Amino acid sequence: MEELDCLGLRCPIPVIKVAKHLKEKEVGYQISLLSDDPASAPDLAAWARMTGNNVEIKSATSFQITKLSD
Amino acid sequence: MVSITSNFQSEAPLHPAVIDALGAVFGQSWADSAKLPADSRKARLLLDESRETFAKHFGIRSDGVHFLGEVNLGFFLGILGLIQPESTFSYSAIDRSEIFAIAEQLRSQGMQVEELSCDAGGVITSPVPDAKKIVAWQLRNGETGISQPMLADSALQIFVDATSSGLRNPLPKNWRTALWDSKAWGGPSGLGIFAVAPDAKYRNPIPHLDNRIVPGSASLPLIIASAMALELWSEREQAERNHLAALALLISNFAKSEIGDVDVIAATHDLISLSFLYIDAERLVGALDRAGFAVDSGSACQATNMEPSHVLAAMGTLTQGNVRITLHHGVTEKQINELLASLKALVAEQRAN
Repeated sequence: MEELDCLGLRCPIPVIKVAKHLKEKEVGYQISLLSDDPASAPDLAAWARMTGNNVEIKSATSFQITKLSD
Repeated sequence: MVSITSNFQSEAPLHPAVIDALGAVFGQSWADSAKLPADSRKARLLLDESRETFAKHFGIRSDGVHFLGEVNLGFFLGILGLIQPESTFSYSAIDRSEIFAIAEQLRSQGMQVEELSCDAGGVITSPVPDAKKIVAWQLRNGETGISQPMLADSALQIFVDATSSGLRNPLPKNWRTALWDSKAWGGPSGLGIFAVAPDAKYRNPIPHLDNRIVPGSASLPLIIASAMALELWSEREQAERNHLAALALLISNFAKSEIGDVDVIAATHDLISLSFLYIDAERLVGALDRAGFAVDSGSACQATNMEPSHVLAAMGTLTQGNVRITLHHGVTEKQINELLASLKALVAEQRAN
């Protein structure tokens, strides 16, 4: 699985990077994200809900994202 | 200097009539209302009249109305004043940070403390009834405008946080202590109104030698000015409530249909929270400011501690790109349309980069 390193980047940059990265990918594509921004956990969950994708929180700084819609 | 054409922050300028009256009020109410001479008797009369005004609007007895020169002290008095030997304390995940601080202190002193969660609609889980339980209960959340349901159980010892709701929400029947902030009705800042119910087992938790309920050093001129602002606000609220509700609906519909990728909390008629995906709130608030619109934000980049709003996070609402629009009396549809046009252009510009 590819890894997107957003350590040290503040909101909203990690969510923007995730969305851009997924743009050209197929449904079902998965990526691992590293982010230590305190807004990432709530905002990735909200982003997934709003855009119809999935986020799994692996640890305080690690997230697994699955593209479920275009 | 940028001139603000429209203010959508939670604070509002004082009503012009209150500003006009303030000078005279300071001239008439300088004396100590607790002393005997004529000027003091006059000051006492003015204080009593103001107390009656607050009591009438809050629907409580005037002898239970007290004034604080430091609003936030009321959280401490209202909660710690109810503590008995066996007390426990409950508060919610969307309470103000002052209450979090009190909870932390009580926890460290060994008291049983529970944090009540809230659902996606911002409604706090009702605490399990228990006569030993002191509950901090906000009537309305200052960031979202969401009102809490009435707590029906009379066994609870309820401290009511009415600092954001002001007159908008009635007190629950079984309240014990309550706190209002004069700013909630456009009154002067630096004044808290604190109330103790007749049946409350309240004990002033600040060291004192007499029978005082609160420290008692609030400014009498500010009390009088705040009572005047409360009367004016109450009158105008009845006239403008529906107009504001229509504007709030306009804002939330526009944000969803014309801007998109937005989490909207439109829970009340005069406060709308909008969180835009892929938007840096600091840049957005700054750009709106330069365009003449002042708004608040709950996003991390706008907070002193760089943490996202604990209220939005607890509700599962997007915390990035957040702007909070407060609709004050007198706001026009034209102003809202101008704000929305600016908002749409600025969000589109940021998203394109």
